[in-house]
Amino acid sequence: MIVFDHVSKVYQNGCKGLDDVSLSIEQGEFVGIIGLSGAGKSTLIRSINRMHEITAGELTVDGIDVHSLKGKALRQFRRRIGMIFQSFNLVTRTTVIKNVLTSFVPDLPFWRMLFGIFPKEAKITALEALEKVGILDKAYTRVDQLSGGQQQRVALARTLAQNPSIILADEPVAALDPVTAKQVMDDFKKINEDMNITVLINIHHVELALQYASRIIGIKAGRIMFDGPVEAVTDSVLDEIYGGKLQEEEA
Amino acid sequence: MNPYDKLFPPKRITLSNGKTVEEKRSRTPLVLLILLIASIVSVRITGFNFSTIINRGNQFFVIFRKMAPPDTSYLPKIWQPLFDTIKMSLLGSFIGSLLAIPFAVIASSNIVRNRFVIAVVRLFLSIVRTLPTLVTALIATYIFGLGTLAGTTAITVFTFSYVGKILYEEIETADMGPYEAMEAMGFGKVNAFRYAVAPQILPSYLSNCLFCFEGNVRYAAILGYVGAGGLGLILNEKIGWREYDKVGMILIMLFFTVLIIESLSHYLRSKLT
Ligand SMILES: Nc1ncnc2c1ncn2[C@@H]1O[C@H](COP(=O)(O)OP(=O)(O)OP(=O)(O)O)[C@@H](O)[C@H]1O
Ligand SMILES: [Mg+2]
Repeated sequence: MIVFDHVSKVYQNGCKGLDDVSLSIEQGEFVGIIGLSGAGKSTLIRSINRMHEITAGELTVDGIDVHSLKGKALRQFRRRIGMIFQSFNLVTRTTVIKNVLTSFVPDLPFWRMLFGIFPKEAKITALEALEKVGILDKAYTRVDQLSGGQQQRVALARTLAQNPSIILADEPVAALDPVTAKQVMDDFKKINEDMNITVLINIHHVELALQYASRIIGIKAGRIMFDGPVEAVTDSVLDEIYGGKLQEEEA
Repeated sequence: MNPYDKLFPPKRITLSNGKTVEEKRSRTPLVLLILLIASIVSVRITGFNFSTIINRGNQFFVIFRKMAPPDTSYLPKIWQPLFDTIKMSLLGSFIGSLLAIPFAVIASSNIVRNRFVIAVVRLFLSIVRTLPTLVTALIATYIFGLGTLAGTTAITVFTFSYVGKILYEEIETADMGPYEAMEAMGFGKVNAFRYAVAPQILPSYLSNCLFCFEGNVRYAAILGYVGAGGLGLILNEKIGWREYDKVGMILIMLFFTVLIIESLSHYLRSKLT
């Protein structure tokens, strides 16, 4: 369970990323986070695995106070949280399987870590992760020879190999065409349902968010404007999240 | 406005619909003028003289002619210094390239956030780079005594500064996306670097090391002049004794060695990219 308790984040330049955010997310939920560019979606998602520091309030994941974690404890904590990026963030010069295998690196003994030699079980787990996202046949292809959609699946497989209980995805389909975007969203949905992994997705396409997520969180200027089941999202709710931008700027 | 543009007003081009576009005058004449002045000044300062080249230039061909035919009987005495030269450049390039890695990493602004640390390491690399290899070798002979150890040290220092600079520039252009992803996966900084950045820079790093090694073979050949071992030692000696046929033999051996090493390195580098 992820709990935000009056969390705020002020960037060093004084910019407010999050403004008094309180919410809780149960294990296994599929949450779509929507809002204008600069609303604070990335800030929200990245404070969960502490890629961003919060500046006020309390944020706990399964009872662990994220802000108090340091060094090894923080790295161990991050092992349980997968992260997916808009730009895939794979090592493109190497093969698909090597990218997936990197998710085991932090758990390897030193000499294996140094030379990048992986035990057989790791390889099997990696290949199974590729099978789950349907690109097992590309295992030994170089990443830079894959399409965007395939690359995002490799990233997904890399995250799955980590065996996370939460997946954070920051605009995972923004760089993909509508058809491929749907396929990748299907993968997220499948993972969410089959493995009971909590999925938090930042997404610009409102239709996709409404179609796949079971819960929607709408942010504007770092504040939660809406938080509820997807069925409760009406046009006026969307108006509130996306509209009224002009008055905002004049104020 | 730029003073140059004031002196030479931009050309106005009028389009058929009446709009005008200003095209700035080319800077090339100015650059050429500066180059010309600089050349004249440097000729004055260095006392460079064409008539000397013409009068004494044929002396070069006199010596050159005395080298032929090269003294092949001298060959057995060349192997050891030649081997020393190669050994110095190989070992020096290897150690220098390895030493450069940690320094390059902490000189990269995308890995280390502390500006002060970066500035200090870069300054250090720059200072080391300005040391002429011959001077380093001379200093090394005072420390380690005459011989190949001094030469190896000099080559190591040069390689270190050269590869170090190119490497940190390379690291800074690496895609940091995978690094971020690995930090999010629970990697420490060292591992994230090893698995996200290293694969991106490895081919060009190896290529630069090889390129540096190529040059180092030629450097190593003259280091003997200051007593740092290798071919330079006997080259210096034989020129001093005016035994030009032996000098010719040494140069031929050096020529073929450099040729072989360069084509080998060229081939390997073409495989890397
Ligand atoms: N590193 C930073 N330093 C200062 N301000 C930042 C930084 N990162 C983000 N911000 C600011 O914080 C606010 C929220 O940014 P955030 O990246 O969370 O928005 P977002 O909703 O993810 O936008 P987008 O849809 O464009 O990705 C913005 O106003 C942004 O300018
Ligand atoms: Mg964002």
